[in-house]
This record gives sequence, C-alpha cells and structure tokens, in this order.
Amino acid sequence: MKHRAVITGMGLCTQLGRSVDEFWRNLLAGHSGIGRISLFDTSSLPVRIGGEVKNFKPDTLFGEFPEAESEKDRKLWLGLDAAAGAIADSRLPRDDFQNTPLFVGVSLETFFLEDAIPSTPVPDAAQDFARQVLNQEPRRPLQTPLDRLTQILGDHYGLNRGRYTNCSACAAGAQVIGEAFRRLRDGTAAVAFAGATDSTLNPLALGGFSLLQILSTENDQPEKACRPFDATRQGTVLAEGAAFVVMETLEHAQRRGAHIYAEVLGYGSSLDAYRVTDPEPNGRGAALSMARAIADAGLTPGDIDCINAHGTGTPKNDVAETLAIKQTLGARAKAIPVTANKSMTGHMIATSGAMEAIASAMTLHTRRIPPTINLSHPDPLCDLDYVVEGSRDFAGRTVLSNSFGFGGQNATLVFRRSDA
Amino acid sequence: MRANVVISGIGMITPLGTNPVEILRDIEAGRSAVAPPTRFDATPFSCLLCAEVRDFQPQPYVAEGKMIRLMNRDAQFAVAAAHLALADAGVKPGRAYLPEEIALFGATGLAGLPLAEVMPLVKASTGPDGLFDPGRFGQAGLRAVSPILSFKILSNMPLCFVSICENIQGTNGIYTPWEGQGAQAVEAAIRALECGDAHCALAGGCDVKTHELAFLSLEQHGLFASWQQNQAGLAPGEGAVFVVLETADRAAARGVQAYARVSGSSLRTHQPGSSRSDTCVKVLEGLNLPHEPLSAMVVADNGDVSAGDDERRALSALRLAAATVIKPKKQAGDLFAAAAGLQIGLGALLARRGSEPVLVDCFGHGSEQAAFVLEKP
Repeated sequence: MKHRAVITGMGLCTQLGRSVDEFWRNLLAGHSGIGRISLFDTSSLPVRIGGEVKNFKPDTLFGEFPEAESEKDRKLWLGLDAAAGAIADSRLPRDDFQNTPLFVGVSLETFFLEDAIPSTPVPDAAQDFARQVLNQEPRRPLQTPLDRLTQILGDHYGLNRGRYTNCSACAAGAQVIGEAFRRLRDGTAAVAFAGATDSTLNPLALGGFSLLQILSTENDQPEKACRPFDATRQGTVLAEGAAFVVMETLEHAQRRGAHIYAEVLGYGSSLDAYRVTDPEPNGRGAALSMARAIADAGLTPGDIDCINAHGTGTPKNDVAETLAIKQTLGARAKAIPVTANKSMTGHMIATSGAMEAIASAMTLHTRRIPPTINLSHPDPLCDLDYVVEGSRDFAGRTVLSNSFGFGGQNATLVFRRSDA
Repeated sequence: MRANVVISGIGMITPLGTNPVEILRDIEAGRSAVAPPTRFDATPFSCLLCAEVRDFQPQPYVAEGKMIRLMNRDAQFAVAAAHLALADAGVKPGRAYLPEEIALFGATGLAGLPLAEVMPLVKASTGPDGLFDPGRFGQAGLRAVSPILSFKILSNMPLCFVSICENIQGTNGIYTPWEGQGAQAVEAAIRALECGDAHCALAGGCDVKTHELAFLSLEQHGLFASWQQNQAGLAPGEGAVFVVLETADRAAARGVQAYARVSGSSLRTHQPGSSRSDTCVKVLEGLNLPHEPLSAMVVADNGDVSAGDDERRALSALRLAAATVIKPKKQAGDLFAAAAGLQIGLGALLARRGSEPVLVDCFGHGSEQAAFVLEKP
C-alpha cells in the first residue's frame, strides 16, 4: 500500500529570515539577501559578496544543544537552528521521534585554516606541520566530519530509524526530502525528518569556488549580482543557510490534527554523465530528473502548474534548465510560471533544494509565487514565463522544484496543494 | 530481503590488489598489506601503519586523459573499481541496460588531500606573526594551489566521475563519511531495484586515508585511541570497491552467473547510552538468520581492540559461528567509506562457493551499523 506524504513542519535559517514567515515575506517582496561578506576579511579575494545570515548568534543555541558549543563549523549551527524551528513548527510529540529516520544534506567540508596555522613559523615538512597541529592546546580539529550535524540532531531528538548524511552537492537538499518521502510512501516510517545545511562563506570555500570562475564578481552591486535567466548574468553568488522539514504520512498527520503545508507527490533523480565542470548543454539529465519526478507523482507534464527553478544565474546552467523544461513540458512550457529563489538568496549549495522545497510548499499554501528579481534583460535563449513583475497569484495545484548539482547530479521534487 | 537481488559484478582497487579472487585468497592465506606508509611520515601519529594501494595507474580506466588531473586519488580509485565491476558483470551502459536504467549509489569518506598539496597554500597564507592572514590567502595562498582544488574536496565528485566515465545516468545518491554509509549505499541501490527506479545498480564506495591530513583527522577525532591504550588498533587504508546489483530475473535473462543473492540486510542506528555490542546484536537479530549453520563470516574487526571485542560479544551472544571467518580490514586496512563494499564483495565470493549463507558485518565508526546475508544464487 502506498501512503501519502505531507509536510507538517518547516524551519529555516537564511539571509532572508530565520522563521518561515519572515523568509516568505521577504521572498514575496523581492528582497535580496545578498551583500558584502562580514564573516571574514574578503578584501583580497575576487569575490567579496554572498548571502550571509546576518546577526546570527550561535550561542543562543547552546542552551538546547550544549554539544554544539565546542563545535566551530558554522553550517552545523545554522542547521541546528533550522532543524529546531521545523520541529517546533510541527508540534510533533516527542514520542513520535523514536522511529523517525533523519536525512541531512551537506556538501563541502570546512577546513579551519585560520585555526590550524600555529602561531609559530610554518615548517617546510608536512610531518612537522602535522606535529604542530597535534600539539596545539586547546585541541583544534582541522575539519568537522560531514555527519556531525546528523549525529547531534539524531542524538538530541532520539532519531534512531536510520541517519543519512547525503553529500550530493547542490542536489543534496532535494535528494534528502525525496528519500524521506519514499520512506513515508512505502510505509517504512510514519514520520521523517529531512533538510540540509551549508556555509561556503569561509576562506577556502569562497576562494576555491572563485578559482572555478562560476561566481559573479559584481562586488559593487551585491543585491543585483545574482540574475538567473537574465541576458547579462555573470555567475552565481554563494550563500549559506539551512532548511529542514518534518514530513508525515497523511494519516499520521490527520490523526494528530497537524497543520499541513503541502503534499510531497513525487521524486526523481538522474545523472548528466557529461562533465564535472558544466551541465549537459541540452538539459538531457535535468529533463530526465523532471520526467521521473512527474511520473513518480502519477502525473503527466500537463499537470505541472509552476516550476521552482534551480536558476543559479550561471550562463550555462540557466540555458540548460530552460531547454530541459521545454523538453519536459513540451508546448506548455512557455505557459508555466517559473521562479528562481536564488536571485534573492544566492546559492546555498546543499541547502538550496530544501529551501526551495519550503518555498514551493509555501507557494501552494499561500497561493503566491515569489518573483525572480534582477531579470530585466531577457535572454533569447531563456524564453519561459519567468515571474519577474513581483509576486504573482497562483491558483494551480502543483509545483515542481529542480536542483542540479556540481558534477551532474540532478534531483526534482513535485508538490501538490493539500486537500486534507 | 524483499526482492530477489543478486550481485553480478565485483570491482576492487585495494591494497591487496585488484583481482577479487586473488584478494580473497590472500586474505585467507593470512597475507597483509598493512605496513609503514611509503608516501608520508607517520611518526607524529599514534598509528604508524597503513595499507596503501601500490603502483596504481588511472589511465586505463579514464578515456579522457585530461580528466585525470581534475580527480583526487579517491575519484581515480572509484572510477577504476566501477569500471572493473561493470566489466565483470558484463554490463556496458547502452547495451545490456540503457544508461538511465543504471543507478549509482556510493559512499565517500572525509574530504582530504595529501598535505604536500595543501602546504604551499598554508605557507603562502601565513603572516609574519605566524597567523593565518586573509589578505595573504587571497593574494598569494590561492595562487599556490590548483584552481581545481574545490573539485578535489567536494565529496560527491568521485561518483560524478564514475557516472561520466561509465555513462551512468540513473537514479543516485551519495552518503558520507564512515563504514555504515557504504552499507546505506548498497541498501539504497537495492531499494532502487525494488521500486523500479532502476534495473541495474552500481553501489559501493571509495576512500583514501593514507596521507597526513587523514591521519591528522583520525587522530584528532580519537580513532587512534586504541593504539594509545593497547598498542594495537586500526590501520587506515585506501581503495574503492563497487558491486553490480540486478534482480535475479534480469541477470538470468542476460545469461549471467551471479556471485550471490542478497538474502538479508539489517541497518540500525547506534543509540547513545547503549553499548556498541548491544547495537551489533540488534543489527544481527534484524537479519532473521536461519538456524542452519553459516558457511562463512566476513567480520568487521579492524584491529581496534574495543570494537573487535564488541563484535565478538555480539556474535557470541547469538551463537554465530562459521568454519570460515575472514577479517579483511586487518589485512587490507580499514577502507572506511569503501569498507562495506569490500566486505560485501568478498562475502559474495564466499557465497558462490558455499552451500550455506554468508554473514557480512559492516560495523564501523559513526552511528550507522549494518550487516548483510549473502547466499549462493
């Protein structure tokens, strides 16, 4: 028997807000969360802007999560904040956590260079450097394993029905929700907890991505730097943040009278098998991911009413995604509203898919589609109905959300307005 | 196990070689690849041993040679092992199966590079006061490293290279960073076959723990504690192992003689406050093992005294024993994210030659613990 899966709790920690209401209000208003990075000195880097979560004070978390106090990986704190928000929002009784699987999306490990470099001359030999780092007091780990948030959340909430740390880059946030959805649908679990966290706003990550030349260097106009589908787009803007959802089977949610935001209806994934540096230019892999999600949802392309695009603002990605949407939806493609949240948030890498899942659920829940900002010069190669005029009323019943990762991993989710 | 899933191909890049049959023979003969490292100096660490893959050349497995410079060693191993597994199964994407019909699930370990690759950046980013200087980092540090550094530390890259080199386009997922995540990858592949997301799946993992940065992390996170307390412990290894999974019907239709049928799996989360051996017991109980004897066991013992004791206690509590017991991690090194693949691959070889089930333990670090039962198809 197949069960229906619904979203009953959502939590965010983003540059546009740390509550779903605040995030959604800013998204609908077209506010940009991108600005100068204040977390560290970026003056010598080619990229000095990002989607930073400002005024975030991790010490406010340590009362509830004392085990996080000794950690120093910012994405871990962002994740705890969003996860706690989702669980509080769901009002799920603590007893229901015990048989709950946990799915966490992450991407890049953070290396703490600034801590690792000892305040003595750096030796020439690697083994001497290793010895210095090991002898440091207090102990300063060079890196935090990517499953650390998974472990803290799992232990704290007693989530013991499998803990999964998915590192599928920009597809991770969508994949974890897709995997949670599958567990609910097949009856393996009645409640599942999924989300993602990321912060690439540190020297090594920002510097490393700068070298790949996929980032906008428009440091003087940060709020306009991320321009998905615009003819003048120059690249994406890195961001940080976390987004988590509580999902339940419909019957479980109804039994406890839970508030339902939206139903998760389908999930699909694919691989470009093309290049690690570029998306497949015709959108083949992306189209396959979308087609799979639609089929998994038991729908046809004609049933899709809105698309929450991956829309990074890189020249190649936006064209490939446009082509993929056309392949998937055929003649209807130009009639379907498309929105790109990254125009306001920047690219949260692993978190993007989870954040956009929440935006998709809110689109259905509030019947409003957020705009794609900074799209003022239409690109002839990107010729869909992008929502540019401001937020738009939405009477449709389904939203499809795309997430396409570095290296060619693709994931798509389909959501439906809850009729429960 | 709900569906009739078989293992039809095995690909291994390990410190004991690349031929699965010879690797099993070496392990049964007691040969070991564990030795002092040749590529770095381990004297700063509590553990002085590791298991290295010697004389590995990626060129035969990567059609586009310039792609090799984008890959770290983990990715090179992954591509090679995946290629060997598919070749062993006789699966050529686009022939036996369409590329989109083949799933890819894998595990990768803690990110890391040999310190020799990172040291130029570290030195160039250090100010006269000996501290990290962001200005120097941007002006000189970044210029001291390869512009493709990010590709070498992004955890999903090894499997993306596998998809590119082998033209695999199907459903996918990548988990990190310990042994249990390798088992999760195999379980995810089985699920994909069961629900019809894929008709064939490549599952496994890759990891490289044979450089200073890896040893630093393992030491800092307490994984060498057994060496400090007992003068014995795990020897980090490196390598990649993938298996090809298909439904028995599809394998038979292709005329393939499978190695083993996956007749049971059990994945459990270790709960804080409970003992590791209790968790192992729960994992093994979850297999619903038949009362008939086991023909062989592939145990997870990696040399860590405490972990080995926990596993022995669990096996003993359930009175599980077999005539053949192998401990691959003690001889091939602990391959961490690739360990489950190695355990399962060797278990499949043992299953093919025995008439009773083979128990494969995939216990390890982190919270996720797993075991599988394999039988002759």
